[in-house]
Amino acid sequence: MYDVFFYIFAAITILSAFFVVTTKNVIYAVYSLLLTFFGIAGIYVLLGADFIAIVQIIVYVGGILILMIFGVMLTNKITSVEIKTQTLFVIPTAIGVGIFAGVLIARMITANWRTMPLNIDYSTTVYSIGASLLSDYSVLFILLGILLLITLIGAASIARKED
Amino acid sequence: MVINTIFNSFHLIGPEIAVALLLLAVVIFDLAFPKNKKFLPWLTITGIIVAGFLTVKQYSLESGFVFESGNTQGLIVIDNFAFFFKLLILGVSLLIILFSVSSEELKNCYDRAGEYYTLITGMILGMFFMVSTVDLITLYISIELVSFSSYVLAGFIKKSKRSSEAGLKYIIYGAVASGIMLFGISLVFGYTGTTNFYQINHIVVHSLSPDFLLSLAFILIFVGFGYKISAVPFHFWTPDVYEGAPTTITAYLSVASKAAGFALLIRFVKIIFFTGIDENGYWILSKAFNWSYLLIIISVLTMTVGNFAALWQNNVKRMLAYSSIAHAGYMLAALTMLSEQGLLAIVVYFVVYGLTNLGAFYIVLLIHNKTGSEEIDDYDGLGYQMPLMGVAMTILLVSLTGLPPTAGFIGKLYVFISILDAPHYTLAVIVALNSVVSLYYYVRIIKHLYLNNPKVEREFTFPVTQTILVLVLTIPVIILGLYFGPLLEMGKVSLRMFGF
Amino acid sequence: MSIGLNHFLIVSGILFSLGIFAIVTRKNAIMVLMGIEFILNASNINFIAFSKFGNFGVQGEVIALFVIVLAACEAAIALAIVLNIYKQFTTVNVDEINNLKN
Repeated sequence: MYDVFFYIFAAITILSAFFVVTTKNVIYAVYSLLLTFFGIAGIYVLLGADFIAIVQIIVYVGGILILMIFGVMLTNKITSVEIKTQTLFVIPTAIGVGIFAGVLIARMITANWRTMPLNIDYSTTVYSIGASLLSDYSVLFILLGILLLITLIGAASIARKED
Repeated sequence: MVINTIFNSFHLIGPEIAVALLLLAVVIFDLAFPKNKKFLPWLTITGIIVAGFLTVKQYSLESGFVFESGNTQGLIVIDNFAFFFKLLILGVSLLIILFSVSSEELKNCYDRAGEYYTLITGMILGMFFMVSTVDLITLYISIELVSFSSYVLAGFIKKSKRSSEAGLKYIIYGAVASGIMLFGISLVFGYTGTTNFYQINHIVVHSLSPDFLLSLAFILIFVGFGYKISAVPFHFWTPDVYEGAPTTITAYLSVASKAAGFALLIRFVKIIFFTGIDENGYWILSKAFNWSYLLIIISVLTMTVGNFAALWQNNVKRMLAYSSIAHAGYMLAALTMLSEQGLLAIVVYFVVYGLTNLGAFYIVLLIHNKTGSEEIDDYDGLGYQMPLMGVAMTILLVSLTGLPPTAGFIGKLYVFISILDAPHYTLAVIVALNSVVSLYYYVRIIKHLYLNNPKVEREFTFPVTQTILVLVLTIPVIILGLYFGPLLEMGKVSLRMFGF
Repeated sequence: MSIGLNHFLIVSGILFSLGIFAIVTRKNAIMVLMGIEFILNASNINFIAFSKFGNFGVQGEVIALFVIVLAACEAAIALAIVLNIYKQFTTVNVDEINNLKN
């Protein structure tokens, strides 16, 4: 059962990601991205990372994707069907990236990682993540708060209307 | 209790807390007094001085402290090495804020001054973490904090096409570089099971030969560093961003952000790969990855590409951008020696380069205020129309070339000493040839200032404050060129890192 | 069960390569951003898979959480800059935005 679910989610992720990078239509690409993020969330669930899976769906699908859809809509002339995007050096890049991917993956699956037999504890990870955020990583947690403030100020400063 | 250990070590990050509070103070002040934007730079300067005071209080000759929090083996450390770079960053920030006050370019965005100073403070905070981190995740987050602020600052003048373009190019290259770096971090995490530099060191010390995947991971991480210090081949953003961004931000990126990137790179290489030190002060690095080859190739490429591309530039800002790439190459050449002597050269070089480059950019900014141009042809005859600025610019350019009796000579001298000490004659010859090439384009500016006839007859006067600021930057360049003992002493003291 | 670490690494490796492919070939700035999101997601799969299979504790998940936050920030700033670019240049194709000469 686990295997079947893994293959389903992996197929969703990779096929939709492949569609994102090959399609000419930006809107199709953005909607395909939705499936990719969903598939990745499924993979997180299979790894027993429930909290991250939920955050993935909330932040990526609910936030980043919506931002991107708005970005596409605001920067394309929707009325005059100009949602197409051009590409550059497709063939040489495809060959280069293909070779790189082959080497990377071949090396990754033969490397001696520190692995143990997977023994996933399917109880929730929320408590341990929360405890870790507020003790081990408390400084980074605060730093991320400041980072969010900076982002808010910076993005608003660039995007807002000049008066 | 975990909480107690965190509270007990909070005094160690006093400067960081001061900067964070300053950031909030700027935001709140800006919201509370929307009409009084004149006070914002002075508020920021006050905060920087307070942070500097707290940093100085931390100075110690001991080996430093680690900021422990919970079960991690420490995210940041407080040592003399971080102390030196923190003071450098604060000093540069102070000068940049003074520059910003006299920039005409930024007057168009006067109503957004609050955002400007907030983002500069954000960059300071990020760089503080960058120079003191010993953890891969802190490293990534602090680089991103610096980057996000600088993306917005590079594109700060929204109505200017070239500033917007600079912002776009910066964020695209920056996001790609940091994404690739993150993938490298994830591979290192998988290999070692930790993100702490010292823990990783325990694991890579034992490897006897380079491992392909681990080497790939370190190269991917190096992409992030290379982008921060604008080393070739990760430099493509540099000329466009430096030309398009407001001049104050260009100066800031070329000195402070580069210094933080170098500090991070040095700490990364030294702590993770260190296995011992031989009697001549050369580090014996782990065989897991051959840094020497990578750094030599990158440094030769960086200085050569930077210098040769600068030859053809007609925009002075763009020329200085390429020259700053070349200077990064010289500093990398000192780092390739992987010795204490090389580190000393980098530290000395940074003080000198910082002063000189800031001064040069400030004069470019002042000339832009008056003439509205940065093209080299518009500099014709300016040496006679603004005598003091002309002389100051000449001194600064001579210092950038590295000729005596300026401070630039001392910086370059120490780079040469470290290279010849190794001895690595090929690299020394390449550095020397590059310096000769750089002489051409620096002298070209001086030629335009003095030998070409001015197109229009005009006189320029500068306010006293701006003149004083130029003198403050130029006079030390001469003094340090003649009397550099204290600089060396300070450099030697600040090489000490936690754990060594 | 037969699914091991390698299966997850293959997914992340492919996602990383597709991200690089999108960054190099796409002209549209928003499409480039999507490529960057792929890279970040590939790293996140790595972090979580390594921390689960290597039994490194909760660290990998906390890192993934940080990365998601940073990705959101990056997207927000990037899209603000892209919108501003569109106002100035009426295009978001990276190769057409070259007022600054080389």
